[in-house]
This record gives sequence, structure tokens and C-alpha cells, in this order.
Amino acid sequence: MNARVPLLSIDDLRVHFPITKGVVLRRTVGQVQAVDGVSLELSEGETVGLVGESGSGKTTLGRAVVGLYRPTSGSIAFRGTDLGTIRSEDAKGVRAQLQMVFQDPFASLDPRWPIGASIGEPLRIHGVGNRRERRTRVGELLDVVGLPRRMAGRFPHELSGGQRQRVGLARALALRPALIVADEAVSALDVSVQAQIINLLQRLQREFGLTYLFIAHDLAVVHHISDRVAVMYLGRLVELASGSDLYGKPLHPYTVSLLSANPVPDPAVEARRQRIVLPGDPPNPASPPGGCRFHTRCWLRERLGSPERCASEDPPLRGLASGHTVACHFAEEVADSPVQRHAVGAGD
Amino acid sequence: MNAEPVLSVRELVVRFATDAGTVHAVNGVTFDVGAGDAIGLVGESGSGKTVTSLAVMRLLPKAGRIVSGEVVFRGKELTTLSEHEMRGLRGKEISMVLQDPLSSLNPVLTIGEQIAEAIRAHEDVGRRAARERAAELLGSVGIPGAGDQLERFPHQFSGGMRQRVMIATALVLHPKVLIADEPTTALDVTVQAQVLELLHELTKELGTAIVLISHDLGIMARMTRRITVMYAGFVMESAPTVELFARPRHPYTVGLLGSIPRAGADGELRPIEGAPPDLERAPVGCPFEPRCARRIAACRETMPPLVPAADASHLVACHNPVPS
Repeated sequence: MNARVPLLSIDDLRVHFPITKGVVLRRTVGQVQAVDGVSLELSEGETVGLVGESGSGKTTLGRAVVGLYRPTSGSIAFRGTDLGTIRSEDAKGVRAQLQMVFQDPFASLDPRWPIGASIGEPLRIHGVGNRRERRTRVGELLDVVGLPRRMAGRFPHELSGGQRQRVGLARALALRPALIVADEAVSALDVSVQAQIINLLQRLQREFGLTYLFIAHDLAVVHHISDRVAVMYLGRLVELASGSDLYGKPLHPYTVSLLSANPVPDPAVEARRQRIVLPGDPPNPASPPGGCRFHTRCWLRERLGSPERCASEDPPLRGLASGHTVACHFAEEVADSPVQRHAVGAGD
Repeated sequence: MNAEPVLSVRELVVRFATDAGTVHAVNGVTFDVGAGDAIGLVGESGSGKTVTSLAVMRLLPKAGRIVSGEVVFRGKELTTLSEHEMRGLRGKEISMVLQDPLSSLNPVLTIGEQIAEAIRAHEDVGRRAARERAAELLGSVGIPGAGDQLERFPHQFSGGMRQRVMIATALVLHPKVLIADEPTTALDVTVQAQVLELLHELTKELGTAIVLISHDLGIMARMTRRITVMYAGFVMESAPTVELFARPRHPYTVGLLGSIPRAGADGELRPIEGAPPDLERAPVGCPFEPRCARRIAACRETMPPLVPAADASHLVACHNPVPS
């Protein structure tokens, strides 16, 4: 990182949730380490994809970025300003720059409000313009997301899933944010409608120079939309690379198994490739395994004769010459291996 | 496709009576599945794929009715069977796995009791023997410590384990046909891979025919040999899987394939404009016509029949199919 300050800088972020027991005598009996020491930087105008399975902490990370969760430790800085220590009168302005789009826009829209009121709400809260100016802005926002202006008077239940997601986007764009966290924003949509929203997200990014943190479990969608992709497992970042590197030459054994498990819409690839099927379920994030968190399910460790190091020593994220950042003691063993080629569907 | 199909659905029509009017959920669906074969029904929400499967099982909700068409299972017509006769078939000859195993398992019975119950409903075996079979079965679907697991309740299992239990239960009586409706949609991708693998292995071993219902074209590519594409209750196209991906002929299928991000296909996605139709409208003409880039005058008048496109195995229902 030279002189340029990244748009968003997440440094050693931890978000832990207490597990409590008892109603009268409430006491903390443990911690879910939802996000446990994640560092990530986003540059202006780029899209960083965040993938991982349930319990990986990807949603928690996204919510912490927009201020819905307080970090337990570590920091999140926007254009160099630490959001944790910012003066409260400045906070509102900075928070307006960070917006979120959710999976189910229906749940985030007030069912009794016409959608024009929902889209205009952030403007009202932040005291932008007068009534007339706000109404004009709502009209512009509807244009921008490809909805007819007359929709402003409709109610959420009258809209299709795709239209509701457009409303969610219009609302997120109201305050002209710099960064949008999209959490499974297209996951609930039918394939044909999903593609419309993905194209819309890409067009908006070009028009407004937006930066996206795009959280999704669909690996193909993330590949399509992202410049760089980060993979999380049990609260940790395990690999970070450009989209083409991560999907073409994955180095973390977990990434390899994710790609290998993911069915691709090409019968020829599916017929020829050998898959790695991981045993069991991801462990409980309340009691993650020691050492490398993935070691209990790791196929690579097994092939290497179960080295003790994986169980005892937590692998740090390290940069490799190829431009990957990966948290595995033995990532070099994966590079250019037949397993890696099969996982990405390249064949022998 | 060579031998007599084990399950054959012909011109199936299902309607629902609702307060708002009649819903035309399934409008003449036809497909076959042979012994040991795996076919896929693919479509978006409202395409009628789930209703089709419920109609085959004769498990439609009260408001739903099979209006016409045939469902022939090993030469036997199912649409006219009595509920009693149907009970003898369900679970034993034709079985089903649903998306959410938690809602299909009884929360107050242990896993062991539920599997044993399925066995004892169809076979005259003692409690003990049924239990032993249940334990064996859990072992065969890769659940460790199967004997102890029998005593546990559904909520004590993870989503992936519950789905394994469902598959185990569905296959315990060696049915001829298994209908799997979005069996892995609720699961994480690594767990999904386990479940698909299991489904594939068990059905291959037992020679069970699979009807796999999914919106996921990747799963279809992995699991099926033939795909039937549905839209608004109609079959739009039906072809061997490899052929369908290589040479789709229906504009809707082409639109679906253009909507999914695929490796090596950079640049913009080519989505289908608009949204799926309202099923309360009586179907006149092709339901895809309003969204179709290749529509011609005839499309508004009549629904084209499902006819062979290039060769006999590739069927398409379109007045103006995409040239191959």
C-alpha cells in the first residue's frame, strides 16, 4: 500500500458474540467467534467477493462494515478514518457512504409504506433537500434502477422479487454511497431475474464508481462479478486472490474442495472431473478446532500423513509469489497438482 | 430410452381452485424415466415442477386436482388408483425426498423409530428386525455410530445429516423410482456434494430411477442424463443433458443458459427480460411469448406441440426455435 489510502481498510477485525445461559442469572458461558482476526482492504471502484459456507462469518463481516455489529476488537477504517473512534457528529455522514443490500428486500421494506417513501426515507433521515426535491430524487433513483416512476406509489407486496430487489438498490443508492455491501443480494431470485440484477449492479458500478463487497455462497456468481475474491472458513480468511487466480489456481485446500464440490453447468466437465468430497459438517464456530481451523476436514493433511503442525500451529495468511494470499502451511503442495486441476474442471 | 419406461407421465394437467380463481399449474406435462436412469425437471418458480411431482405421488393439496393426463408406473395407471392402493405404492415403489428434511421428519420421534416405521408400514417384520435394518441403513449413508444415532431426534442432526436420513428412509424399501425435489438447495456446497454423491451411488447400486427437480443447472449437468425444461406448467424442451447444453433450441432454454455465469464466458450476462407469467390467466398461446425475443404471430394464438427438433430424442415446443 503506497501513498494511496484504500477506500475501506479492515484490520484484524474480531466480532465475537457471547453465548448466554439462564434467564434470571444471565451469565456468559462462551463466545461464538463469528469473525476472528480478518484483515482486508478494498480499493475504490473494485468488487471484492466474499465466499464461505454457513458459520464462516461472511455475513457478520459485512454487517460489521456497515456498523450493524460492533467490533470486539480490531478496526474498520473508511478513507483512513477509523469508524470506531469517529466523533458521533461526523459518524452519520460517513455511515451514509456505507450502504447494504440484503437477500430479502421484502423483509427490509415497510409493508405499509409505498415504496417511494421507503426509498426516500434515508434522504429524510439525513435531512437531504425539501419534500419536493426528495420526491424528484426518488424519481431519479427509480429511473436509475430501471423501474417506472409510477411505481413510487406501489406497495412492496405488489412487486415481484426482482422489482423488490431493485427497490432495495434504489434505497441503498439514495445517499450516493461509496461502498455497497451486498449480502446474498441475488440469491433468492430466479436465474433469469438474477442475471438482470447482476447486470444492473455492474452498470451502477460503472456509472457511480461504486465499490462492492459482494457476499454470496454462489461461487459462479461471485466469480462473474468480482475483481478479487476472499474465502472464509470459521471466522477466518483462508485465501485471497484475483478472481481468475482463485478460480483457476486455488491454493488453500478448503478453496480447492469448495470449487471441487460446486457443480458447474457443463456436462463434459462434470463427467470427467474427480471430486473431493469433504467429510462431515463444518465445526461449530463456538468451539473451533485448534491449530488450523480446517485441519479436522482437510484432505491435504490426510494425504501428507496428518502432520502435527496443522493441529498445533495456526497458519498465518502469507503472500505467495503468484499473488495469492493463503493461510495454509502446505499451500505449495496444492500448486499445479492434479487435484487442483480437477477442482477447477481443467482435467488432466 | 430403449426399454419400457418405469414411470411415464403423459399430458398431465393440474389445476388449483383458489379464492382468486383457477391456477393453471401444470398444463400438459410429458416425460419418461427408465429403470436406473436419471432425468431432471428444471424450471424457475411457478414452472410447475414441484406440482408435477406431487401429482405423480398423488400428494396434491386439497385445492389441487389432476384434470387430465396419465401417470403410468410399470404399466399401472396411478391417477385412478384409490387412496388405499396408492398407499401401498408410496414409499415402497415410488419414493420422495424434499428440500427441507426437518419438515418431513416427525420432531417427536427418534430417527430410529421413523425409519423402522417406514419399513414396518410396508413389510411384515418385527420391531427388532426393523431396528436392525434402520441401523444398517444409517451406516450405509455414512452416518457414524449408527446404532447410537437411532436414539436421537431430528433436531439433534445437522441439515446434511437429516437429508441423509431422508434419503436412507426413501430408499430403505428399494423403490423403483425416487423423486428428489431440490434435495440440496438448503445445504452448503460441500455438504451438497456429499448428498449428491450419496444419491448417485445408492441409486446406481439399487437401479433406482431418479426424477431430480432443481433450478440449478450445475446439479443437472452433474446428475442427469436427460433434462426436461419447464415454464409456466408447460414442457418447453426435453433432450439428453449433453445435447441440451450444447444445442439448446428453445428460446427459453437459451435464455436460462445465458443467465448463468459460466467459466470462460466473460462479459455481460444475457438475461431474459421481464418476469414469469401469472398462472391465473388461462393459457392461450405460448406462455413465454411476452418475454421471447424470437416471437412470431403464431405464438400468441396457439401453444406449439412438443415435437422432435433435430432427432427423435430432442423435443422442443416452439413455433420459431433457435437454429442449431
